[in-house]
Amino acid sequence: MSDRDIAVFSPGARLLSSIDNYYFQFEKLLNLLAGIVIMGLMFLGVIQVLGRKVINFPVPGYVDLVEFAMVIFAFLAISYCQKLGGHVRMEIIIGRFKGRTLWFLECIGILIAMYIIAVLMYYSYTHFLRSFDCSFPFCVGDSSMDIELPIWPTKLLVPFAFAMLLVRFSIQLLGYFRLFLYPDAEPIAIPMIETVDEQAQHEIDTGLAGEEEKVVITSDVRDQ
Amino acid sequence: MTEFEIGLAGTGALLLMVFAGVRIYAVAAIVGVIGVVYIIGWDAGAGIGGTVPHSKSVNYALSVLPMFILIGFIAYHAGLTHALFRAARAWVGWVPGGLAVASVFATAGFAAVSGASTATAAVFSRVAIPHMLEAGYDRRLAAGVVAAGGTLASLIPPSAILVIYAIIVEESVGTLIMAGFVPGVVSALVYAALIIGQCKLNPELGRPIPSPPMKEKIASLPGTLPIIAVVAIIFYSMYSGTATPTEAGALGAFVVLIMAIVRGMSWKNLRSALEETARLTVMIFALIWGILIFVRFLGYAGLPQAFAEWIVTLPFPPLIIMIGILLGYAILGMFMDAIGMLLLTLPVVYPAVIALGYDPIWFGIIVVKMCEVCLITPPVGLNCYVVSAVRPDIPLGDVFRGIAPFFVADVVTIGLFLAFPGIILWLPSLINQ
Repeated sequence: MSDRDIAVFSPGARLLSSIDNYYFQFEKLLNLLAGIVIMGLMFLGVIQVLGRKVINFPVPGYVDLVEFAMVIFAFLAISYCQKLGGHVRMEIIIGRFKGRTLWFLECIGILIAMYIIAVLMYYSYTHFLRSFDCSFPFCVGDSSMDIELPIWPTKLLVPFAFAMLLVRFSIQLLGYFRLFLYPDAEPIAIPMIETVDEQAQHEIDTGLAGEEEKVVITSDVRDQ
Repeated sequence: MTEFEIGLAGTGALLLMVFAGVRIYAVAAIVGVIGVVYIIGWDAGAGIGGTVPHSKSVNYALSVLPMFILIGFIAYHAGLTHALFRAARAWVGWVPGGLAVASVFATAGFAAVSGASTATAAVFSRVAIPHMLEAGYDRRLAAGVVAAGGTLASLIPPSAILVIYAIIVEESVGTLIMAGFVPGVVSALVYAALIIGQCKLNPELGRPIPSPPMKEKIASLPGTLPIIAVVAIIFYSMYSGTATPTEAGALGAFVVLIMAIVRGMSWKNLRSALEETARLTVMIFALIWGILIFVRFLGYAGLPQAFAEWIVTLPFPPLIIMIGILLGYAILGMFMDAIGMLLLTLPVVYPAVIALGYDPIWFGIIVVKMCEVCLITPPVGLNCYVVSAVRPDIPLGDVFRGIAPFFVADVVTIGLFLAFPGIILWLPSLINQ
């Protein structure tokens, strides 16, 4: 059996691919939730300005509400972004490697990130615990300045997002390690390094999002 | 090891991992945490790592970022591009190279609101280039104009990258947003002057087009109102202090959203705009808290102060050092995304620039302008690449040749900013009085 056959047919690869897909559905949902919160923040801002200017009645605790909501879009989609390879990195060197070397470097990169996120997860959890005091009603150890919203739910969201990110890292680590073992296999469960063509395509899709007719890059632009 | 040596070792480790392609937020966080732990011990050090992501992200000043990003992703659906180009053509088409000048203003105006240089170049390759080619314009000029016009995205408000700069260097977000306006307009005017000059010398490049009657000119304006409204709302709010950047951004996003809905934006399109906004937002937040952990470490190691003290002892005038710094950014920008580059370098470079006696607001505008110039320079020059990809009839080489004069114009503009800091500082000085 060749490497490619292992990729296509092995039960392990199939399992990894379906875990990746199911988990991605969950990540997508959280990302959409973050997007909806951002839209909510927009409406809140409009209401705040109109309220203050027109009827002289600003939204009570506006800043508290915004800061409460912020943690959702600041963290919830972090693993979604990781899945899509959206977090910034420098690809000029790693993009030149191929095969085993590339997959080995990717494994190391993921392990480094996993280590620090695990540390941050634990310590952001203890940060949450310090604001979580059940000798008060609703366990409000810490509360916001103005309308006294509890702080602990927002602090708890940080280790939760980091835990989700760790799961995503684990999936990607398996994906990279599989390719390290079988460099010719079909890649699954990992973000691929974008070529300039793919980057350009991505920008074109964004730019032409409101246009009827789309553009698909077919030939290599550099070869013209 | 002294703390300073730990700082240097940490920075070396950071660069090594960045070059090895590890995600920058993770690199910054790991070097930051390990460095702080080394200096002040495990519990206190790792505790900083656990505190910074929440405490630095949940900060009202940062809430303007998703608003600006949202404006950008909705703007593509609001039918603004064609309307802008129509209006610009009606008003400035009569000058030499009129369609190209119109393209510069339309592209710059849209880029300002979308905040996305490259995507703007993509859409205007579709909107403006066909009209220019039909009118017999030189195709290199047509392509160059569109690729260059997008680069004005980050100066004219709203600009997310100027907000990020303000947060990292702890300057007023409102002041930086304001400060970008005049330099953005000056850059556009320099481009326009360049086109007019070229087309005067060689009318074959692009001829004026007849000016339509006043009635038609006036009729072209309403379609551009959302753009004018967004820039005006944000500008006025910062100028008068009547609304915070977040509130102004929310109003701007709302105006664009209404326009997009009127134009029939579907739920599917809105959902994908929200998803893209959320993805970009979380990416920027991760970078910000990651870098701020690293900044804590740099602070403990005393590296920025040491670098600043060293740089002022150099036997060169500050201007030469500044030009050296800008060249450094030009080179780095060829390999790296603008936001990542700024966040990684500013913690060390910024204190040095201040020690040299430069103004923080001024430097923010200059450095952001540099980042944009990198989008039109080889080896990648993503803007040029995208223009050629949307218009396969214009080879990449032609786009690069077409953009060369604009690159020269940008160098001249940066020179102007260096020589006359007042261009940048005049407007913000009005609100600080």
